[in-house]
Order: sequence, then C-alpha cells, then structure tokens
Amino acid sequence: MKRSEIPTFQPRLRVLNREQALAIHTAALEILEKTGFKMEHPRALEMLVDRGCEIFDGDWLRMPPHLVEEALKSAPKQISLYDQKGAKAMDLTGENSFYGTGSDATFTLDVETGERRRTVLKDVSNFATLVDDLENIDFAMSMANPEDAPIEDIYVYVFAEMVRNINKPIVFIADSGRDIAKIHEIACSVVGGEEELQRKPFILNYSEAISPLRFPENVMEKLIFCAQKKIPLCLPSGSNAGGGAPVTLAGAMALGIAENLVGLVVHQMAGKGSPFLFGPNVSALDMKSSVVCYGCPEWSLTQAALADMRDEIYGLPIWAFAGASDAKVMDAQAGAEAMFSIITAMLSRANLIHDVGFLEYGSTSSLEMITMANELIAMSRFYVQGIPVNDATLALEVIERVGRGGPGSIFLMDDHTYDHFMEALFLPKLLDRSRYDAWKNEGAMDLYKRCNMEAKRILFEHEVDPKPDAVLKEIEQILKSS
Amino acid sequence: MSEFSALSEAVIKGDIQTAVAETQTALDAGSNVQDIVDKGLIAAMDQVGEKFSTGQMFVPQMLRSAKTMQECMKLIKPLFEEGQLSAKGKVVIGTVRQDLHDIGKNLVAMMMEGAGFSITDLGVDVSPKDFTQKAQEVGADIVAMSALLSTTMPAMRETIEALQEAGIRDKVKVMIGGAPVTENFASEIKADSYAPDAGSAVIAAKKLLGIS
Repeated sequence: MKRSEIPTFQPRLRVLNREQALAIHTAALEILEKTGFKMEHPRALEMLVDRGCEIFDGDWLRMPPHLVEEALKSAPKQISLYDQKGAKAMDLTGENSFYGTGSDATFTLDVETGERRRTVLKDVSNFATLVDDLENIDFAMSMANPEDAPIEDIYVYVFAEMVRNINKPIVFIADSGRDIAKIHEIACSVVGGEEELQRKPFILNYSEAISPLRFPENVMEKLIFCAQKKIPLCLPSGSNAGGGAPVTLAGAMALGIAENLVGLVVHQMAGKGSPFLFGPNVSALDMKSSVVCYGCPEWSLTQAALADMRDEIYGLPIWAFAGASDAKVMDAQAGAEAMFSIITAMLSRANLIHDVGFLEYGSTSSLEMITMANELIAMSRFYVQGIPVNDATLALEVIERVGRGGPGSIFLMDDHTYDHFMEALFLPKLLDRSRYDAWKNEGAMDLYKRCNMEAKRILFEHEVDPKPDAVLKEIEQILKSS
Repeated sequence: MSEFSALSEAVIKGDIQTAVAETQTALDAGSNVQDIVDKGLIAAMDQVGEKFSTGQMFVPQMLRSAKTMQECMKLIKPLFEEGQLSAKGKVVIGTVRQDLHDIGKNLVAMMMEGAGFSITDLGVDVSPKDFTQKAQEVGADIVAMSALLSTTMPAMRETIEALQEAGIRDKVKVMIGGAPVTENFASEIKADSYAPDAGSAVIAAKKLLGIS
C-alpha cells in the first residue's frame, strides 16, 4: 500500500509566547499615549493633531491607540518587489526570507590589496555587480558612502551607480524630500514611467527616525513622499539597547515598535494602503566601545521576537538584518557572527534581511564577506527545508537492494543515489571539504582567500544586462541637473 | 596614598553617597578646595579613564564615576569665585547643523568633564555661527564637533570657516568625530584633531592643549 503524503515540518524558531508579544505591544502603545513623541515635520504634526493626537510642549504629541489600529488595518500585508526588468523578485510576505547588502559603509576592504580604505563610487558598482550575480543575495544596498561623490547629492549618485550595475531590486537611502525626488525620477526612467514604477516597484526606501522618540523634518519628508508615490518604505529607528533605548531588550523593543508605529500612522495618513515594511533595529550598544553591535546575539534575538510579534499581532512583512560582523577582517569571528544571524533570521522567517557583508559594526564593507554569506544562506536554506519523509526518501527498497546485494554493492553506485544526491544533500562551493593533500596542493587557501578569488572572478566575468542608452542618458541629465 | 584616597575610591566605584560624604568631610576639615578637585576627584577620574581604556571598566560604570564627580562638584563649585576654579581647558561641544544625533557627543562631553575640562554643551543642530559665538563668549580652548550623517559633515568645514572669519581660529583647537568622519577628512578641512571614540577624544584634547 502506498504511504499517504506526510507534510514536512520546516525548522522554525520562536522566542516569545503570546503573552510576551501582547505585553510588548501594549507597552509600545502606552509610550505613545503617555510619554508621547517629538514631531518636527509641521504638516505631519498637523495631520496627527487633526486625527486626535494631543499636542504639548511645542511639537510633542500623544497618540491614542485607535490611530495605530487603523493604520495597521490599512497597511498591505504583502509587499512585492520586482527586478528592474519587471519580473517579480521578492514576495515580502508570510514565511519568505530575502537577503541583501547594507548601505553607507565609510570603508571597504580593497579586493586587490585587502587593505581597509575609504569607499569610492567604483565600489558601489562593484558591490552591485557582485550582488547581481550571487544567487542567494536578492537585493542591493550601496555598501558605500563614496568620498568621490558630491556630498549634497551623494545618495543620487550612489543610486545611479547601482542602477547602472544591477537589475535586482534596490533598497536606497536619501537625505530629504529633495534628493528622494531625483532618485524617484531615475527609478521612473528605468522602468518607463511613474505608473509602471507604482505597479512594479523595484525600489524600497530605508529611512530612520531618531531614538528616543524624535521624528526629524527631513525624515518625515521622505516618508510622506514614499507614501504618496507608493514607494515601499521602512522606518526602523535605532532603538539599540543601552544606546537610543533602555538596556533591557523588552523595553528597547517596545520603544522601537512605538517609533515604528508613529511612522506607520503618518505613512497611512499620507497614503492610505501604501506599502510599509515593519520593524525597528534593536541591537545593543557594546558596553566597552559603545559601538552598535552587528554580530551580537541580542539583535538576532530581538528580530526573532519581532517576527513572533508579526505573527501574533501586526501581520505586516518585516525588516531585519543578518550576515554582518563586528570583526575588522573576515576571520573566524566574522564567519561565526555572520552565520549566527543568517540562520536565526531564516529560522524566524524575517522577510527583508539587510546588512549582509558588513564588517567592523557596519563601517566596513567586504566583497568577500558577501561571497561567503551567499554560501551560508544556501546552507541555511538547505537546513530550513527540513527532512521530507516519503517512500523515495525512506528508500526501503534501496536499503534492501544494497544491503542484500552481495559484494561490491554500495549505495554510491546505486541509481537512487545518482537520482537524488543533488537535492538530498547540501553541496558546498566555497566551504572546503577537500582532503588535506589536495587542499595543500591547491595553495592551502583559507575561506577568505577563496572568497576573494571568487569575488574577483565574478567581477571579471559577470556581465550585467545594460540599461538602454536612452535610460543612461536620462540618468546623466538628472545627475547634471543636481 | 593621598589624603583623599577614600574620596577617590568612592568616585572610582561610582558610590555617589560615600563620595559626597567624603567631599563634605574634606571641606569640613578645611582641606584646600583646589586640592580636593585635583588630588581627589580628577585623580580618580584619571584612573577611571585608564581602567576604561584598558577594558577593565564598562561604559555605564565609567559614566557613573563621572556622575559621582559631578555630584561632588555641586558642593565645591559654590566655594569658588567665577572663573577661579582652574579647569584643564574650556571646551565648546555640539552636534553640527542639521544633525540631531547626540549619543556619541554626550559620551565625549561626559568623559571630558570627568577628565577636568570645563564643558559648554550646545546640544544638537548647532550652526557655525552658534559654535563661533559661544567659543568667543567663553574663551574656548577647544571646539569639538560631532556628525553622524555624511550629509552633515560639510557643516564641520563651514564651522571652521566661521571660526576663521571671526578671527579666532588660531585661538581654538578644533576636534571632530562621528561615524562617517575620518582622519583624512579632518586634515582635509584643517581640523586639529580627529577622535574615533570618546576615550581617544579625551586623550586627543589633552594632547592638543599640551597637558598630560
């Protein structure tokens, strides 16, 4: 008799129970209702007062919880990002996890010399090209704060550089309402118009409020612009434990969520139904160096907790980080920290996961680190698929065939192995399992060296489908008008 | 051991109650007030700075020590005439125009104060004009600027230009810091010093003014 189909359990992480999730949510609402927040954008302030927020001390507001409930209702539960050719690339919803790079690194590890140096525009194109090729890296951020771009329009130049060198979705930074309009113009020209961009967005804006509880005017300009133009946006403040927020993780989360909810409320008022990606950044400040940690267990833990809160309460796709490290070079620490956050982000089903490839608490970007992460993500995906149990995988016939097959009968020779090994096992490309002598003869290379060679190979060989000349010309003109 | 070792000990431990009581005891015993500050409080904070920079102390512990010192100074300050209390140097500090981030700047201010500098903290979003005016007003030895956003870094250059125009650039040393700021940028805009973190800011400030 044929065995009936058994569903496969896919390994899953939970870190909060329902009571904890509700208590943190309630605390966030209490912060907004009792402590309030500072809204420095006059029109946003006016809108909030019109809807029932109480104003005090100039530009401080207290928010009644029902505004949050309304905004949560109108925000879409699914955000789809497309590639720059119009094909659906990232369905940000439910259990889907997508990984991408980070923005604004001051330094990079030079791929030729290995030295840490200031980033330049050429780095932006190198990172974009690499991401365009890597199969497990789904979107790009700039990975650079280039010193050779004019600083007033740095984000416009960085965006243009990315567009020229990648066709995957782009998560971008802007300074204010001024430069975001130019970036939007470039994006429209890539897909052939504003309507097309709204229908199939390939961009998502990353903006930050300032913890604790401050909403600067330029930040809200960007948020309102995105809401009106239906550009997907996230607004994670840096409510890092011990830095912008209390040192205890529950309070830091409550504060970050409160700040995120203010963003959501203003966003939905400015553009009802526009896409908003939920989730604050809740890492921890290192208690010795006072840096915001990128390799700490705290950030992975709060983000898994936020994923639980999405499941219990919010229902919105969420923002996360992974694949980064506080190490200064791509060493054992970098590998350990990168893997820790990559696997936990996937196990908790975070949706849009950025910062892959950062070293030095986000100050230095590394092509090698992304190349390594690409493989670690593959490793994690294999793990999270779980163990399918059915006739083919139990392979009782094979066991009988080989077990009783007499001398010379081995599983390696069996057709079942030939037919299934590709999907049954994880086949690494860069992680080394070669025999010692082979490894030595190949140059006794460590993972950093292998990733360096692979990154160089990709930069040399990979050809990014170029944008049409007309689009490139338009981009040049927009840059000139800056 | 100095006569103020119990006071120093309490400052290092961040024991506010004991430190304040020790300060009061020393004052009641008629100790020289400048000595209480120099040999008791600042000597303790020097040790705190040393322990912190060698990783034997965490930030919150270091800040508690600084707070302890401030509480003791509340008893001491009224005993000095205006300007009579000798500070290591006068620092005007702030986050530059259009930038509202202040965690790092606050850390630097606290540590410098702990090290015996007199601090005028202008807060965030400080215009070149405000930096200049305040520096003139207090007769600053150092103007210290912070920026977290790369887009606000040009305001550092403008502030230096404003100091120049006001004719006080050669009277003050300029220090800069913040996540996107680099040594190269500091030399490019002709700042006198760049510090990557609060601990090094104190060391750099002392070096600039030629104090050990």
